[in-house]
Amino acid sequence: MSVPATMMNELFATKLNSSEGKEKIAEYGGSYVRDRLREVSFARKVIPPEQVTRADCQRSVNHDTLVKIVDIEPQSRAMSITFRGKPTARFIRGARAEVAFFTISSEMFQKTEQELLAYEMPITKVIEENSVKDIQEIEDREFTIHIEASVQALQTEANGGTSKALKGGTGSTIGSTVEFSVRKGELARTTATTSTEVLAVQRPDFVNLFKLLDGNRLRSERLLMTEVDWDDLLQWTVEDFGDKIQSETTVDGYKYNQILGKSYIRTIKTDILRPGNIYVFTKPEFFGKFYVLNNTKFYIDKIANQITFQAWEDVGMSVLNIAAVRKLELYSGDANPTTDADGFVAAGNFIPLNEEALGAVNNRVDAGLKFPQVSQY
Amino acid sequence: MPSTVQKVNFDPVSDILQIWLRDLPLANPDIADPLNSVALVDGEWLTLDTNYKWVRVTDITSLASIAAIKSFPCFSERGRTDRLGMSQKKTTALFRGEYEFDTRIYDSAVGTAITTVMQPLKVRTIAIGPRNYSGLVGHGGSGDTDAVVGFVTKLPANNGGKLRFISGYRV
Repeated sequence: MSVPATMMNELFATKLNSSEGKEKIAEYGGSYVRDRLREVSFARKVIPPEQVTRADCQRSVNHDTLVKIVDIEPQSRAMSITFRGKPTARFIRGARAEVAFFTISSEMFQKTEQELLAYEMPITKVIEENSVKDIQEIEDREFTIHIEASVQALQTEANGGTSKALKGGTGSTIGSTVEFSVRKGELARTTATTSTEVLAVQRPDFVNLFKLLDGNRLRSERLLMTEVDWDDLLQWTVEDFGDKIQSETTVDGYKYNQILGKSYIRTIKTDILRPGNIYVFTKPEFFGKFYVLNNTKFYIDKIANQITFQAWEDVGMSVLNIAAVRKLELYSGDANPTTDADGFVAAGNFIPLNEEALGAVNNRVDAGLKFPQVSQY
Repeated sequence: MPSTVQKVNFDPVSDILQIWLRDLPLANPDIADPLNSVALVDGEWLTLDTNYKWVRVTDITSLASIAAIKSFPCFSERGRTDRLGMSQKKTTALFRGEYEFDTRIYDSAVGTAITTVMQPLKVRTIAIGPRNYSGLVGHGGSGDTDAVVGFVTKLPANNGGKLRFISGYRV
């Protein structure tokens, strides 16, 4: 069934006059130009969220908040002993960690009933649908900050507790900084200049990244990279691909769901996962937890002619095993937020943008930039 | 005299549904750590920095520090896990709207003593127990050029040791 979007907007306003109408309003149709592609959460592909209820959680004795306490696998080992010998004792103790819940909300949208009638697209429905993706963008931003903090924490530990810059080019620290959980790509290691330029990913980069994880009694399973970095795969030569894959790739692009035996997740959210950063993860059970306490809720109300609506969800996510994620950097500049040796991080490179800056508008219609125009070459 | 700091230091006694609560990141996220010796507590007063983040409105290392600009009371108890669970350590403050609250973060003796109902209040670094906070003190009235942030509605002596006040701003 399809109804005109203008009718939808009228229905939207009309239905809100009754209590029944304040339920989620379903509608259809409407043609409009999209500003950008919205993508579902990549964090949910790395750690599939688990639904929890109040009964699964623990309350705080200090304030009205909830956490879920997660057990960490206890340590154990075996040993060789003589017929008369006894093994060493281990008093069993398993670490525990808490995953705290917080809310991710859309903006609180407001509009008057009369102004709503001036739209021919189902603007309320568009915003409602987009809000779910907007909420998942914040999930991804939180997740990206957590995994970056994890790799930097482990790198710091490997460098004797000192946070060290990792940079190529001028004043390169490669060789003096232990690359335990963060590694520079092959081209970034050999470039003469230190910059933010993202260099193409090479086949050895992936292999060396896998080895960061695989060398620590863990196994790399899944890659996370931007669409921009994935595009560089298409530049691999016949020496990388072999003639069969090279022929296929030239015609169809790279169509396989694995690269070098690992599955991969591509994202277009380059303002959250910035180009040049590729992460590799273990299976989720070795990595962390992502809990959903309340799935996305949508609230809508109308007071007089003022319509208000908002969506939100309650989630908790935590990287509980920071050794289960490693990172490849395809640029020569230092991306360690603590050292920021070149000032590139402070200038807004490498790390996720602020929440307010996410999803910058692509179109320039509000600025009058659309064509044809009267004044045009 | 100063109050005592407890689990909950800042309690509404008026409707808060109409208040514009604003969640913003702390410029110094370390003060969200409940184990920090200068952890932020509910009822302390915050203001905005140039990056649109919360900072304490007074320098709590100096007992002489007085707020000269508009500030907003923190409405997040120390160690709340919903704040610790997110990367930015966002903290809720009462940003706009009128309200009436009971607070423990005050000192009724420092500077101009808090002695009368409807006496104006200002924000200053105060000492409660072993450490300092950005809290309420009495305002000197017309001769005092510091920013007013509220007015006393119930004196601590008649309110179980808590200071009740209504919001109201004047420079």
